[in-house]
Amino acid sequence: MNPMDILIQYWPRLLDGTLMTIKLTLLGALIAGMVSPFFALVRVHSSPIAQAPLRLYISFMRGTPILAQLFLIFYGSGQFRPFLQEWGLWAFFRDPFNCALLAFVLNSTAYQTEILRGGIMGVPQGEIEAAKAIGMSRARALRRVIFPHAYRIAWPALGNEVILLMKASALASIVTVFDLMGRTRQIFSRSFDFSVYLWAALIYLCITAIFVLLWHQSERRLSRHIDRPGKPRAHVPAKKETQA
Amino acid sequence: MTQPELILKAEDIHKSFGSLEVLKGISLEARKHDVISILGSSGSGKSTFLRCLNFLETPTSGKVTVHGEEVLVKNGKPENARHIEEIRSHLGMVFQQFNLWTHRTVLENVMEGPIQVKRESKAEARDKAEALLNRVGLEERMDMYPSQLSGGQQQRVAIARALAMEPDAILFDEPTSALDPELVGEVLKVMQDLAAEGRTMIVVTHEMGFAREVSSEVVFLHEGRIAEQGPPAEMFANPKTEEFQRFIAKVM
Repeated sequence: MNPMDILIQYWPRLLDGTLMTIKLTLLGALIAGMVSPFFALVRVHSSPIAQAPLRLYISFMRGTPILAQLFLIFYGSGQFRPFLQEWGLWAFFRDPFNCALLAFVLNSTAYQTEILRGGIMGVPQGEIEAAKAIGMSRARALRRVIFPHAYRIAWPALGNEVILLMKASALASIVTVFDLMGRTRQIFSRSFDFSVYLWAALIYLCITAIFVLLWHQSERRLSRHIDRPGKPRAHVPAKKETQA
Repeated sequence: MTQPELILKAEDIHKSFGSLEVLKGISLEARKHDVISILGSSGSGKSTFLRCLNFLETPTSGKVTVHGEEVLVKNGKPENARHIEEIRSHLGMVFQQFNLWTHRTVLENVMEGPIQVKRESKAEARDKAEALLNRVGLEERMDMYPSQLSGGQQQRVAIARALAMEPDAILFDEPTSALDPELVGEVLKVMQDLAAEGRTMIVVTHEMGFAREVSSEVVFLHEGRIAEQGPPAEMFANPKTEEFQRFIAKVM
């Protein structure tokens, strides 16, 4: 069959899968992004003993395949079904989408925590002291100085993490989530036309490209305070300074 | 004769880093309009002492009183720690490395304290910040980021940032030591103006000219103690201690 025909015949399913992939990725990254700042602070400030459980969790998540983690949640929860039912959690684990989302959130939280930890440790000590010296409380210094700065440092690595998560999300198709990969496999099993995988690859590539573009834009906005020699910025008056 | 109002009182400040005792009991009073220069060779503890005044460094023991707020420290533990933020908001601080918030513009740097700590309105803070930046001669740099300014300009912004809090006293921690020689003058000029208008200042410095001409009192630290203290004219004319004589001979 002509590759075009595949696309014409199955585009609604591919679109549906694409939206599912985007939903899974963004939701996963977002929820992880809401948890990771707290974990990152624990990693930076807590005593080694207090953060031992957190380190164990991060080591596990970063040291094992994400597919194994997904199976652990999807098939593992089945093993504990009576227990989960008793707690009213079975409704959550019964849905493969929820299992996949949970796996991705747990995995991405571990990575984002470490990325953000690096960002926090990269904030110049002097700027934190300046915040203290002016009378800011710890919480205010975190909100106004430390995190804004840490996120600027961590931003490129965080973008990378989201892209990796997006590609890992194809694993959800193995536990019967109809994301882009799931739809593609479904279409292939009906049409036996290999070209559908090429279309899927192209769509993945497009998602990544668009995301990289958007992320890069935001990165430029966030780092406009960093002096890049030879790159004049619009808001700088052209007038050359005369040194006092 | 009534003395001017007492602004800052530090009593018997001790500070140890591990087994190394850096400050061995220093007391200091600053009254309104005082400009106190703290001198001493490196390792004398002068910066550490200054940083103990606003608790960027927690003293091992001692007491600091500012604006009626008192913090007593015993065994490295402040007893009324919640006063610390209050004390800090009444003391401006200017650092050797400027320490401007690099992700904010010059104007935002100056507005930040009044808005976030003193809860002033944005409009109010902006008016004040613009006036202050005007005073330090940086009205045309307001929308720039610190990285686009020279060291001297950054330090003037830092001074404006401290002034915006309307502090009772300003602490200067070697404010000109990180500057290129030709930029030192512009910062000293601003500091001199502040002294002239009666600001209370405590300045750790290596600028002997400033200590001698501008300050009302000089404190010389040696090995964690005040070795000599007095009006600059007298002290520089006839230093009493051998340590201060040697110090003068070295730096002048």
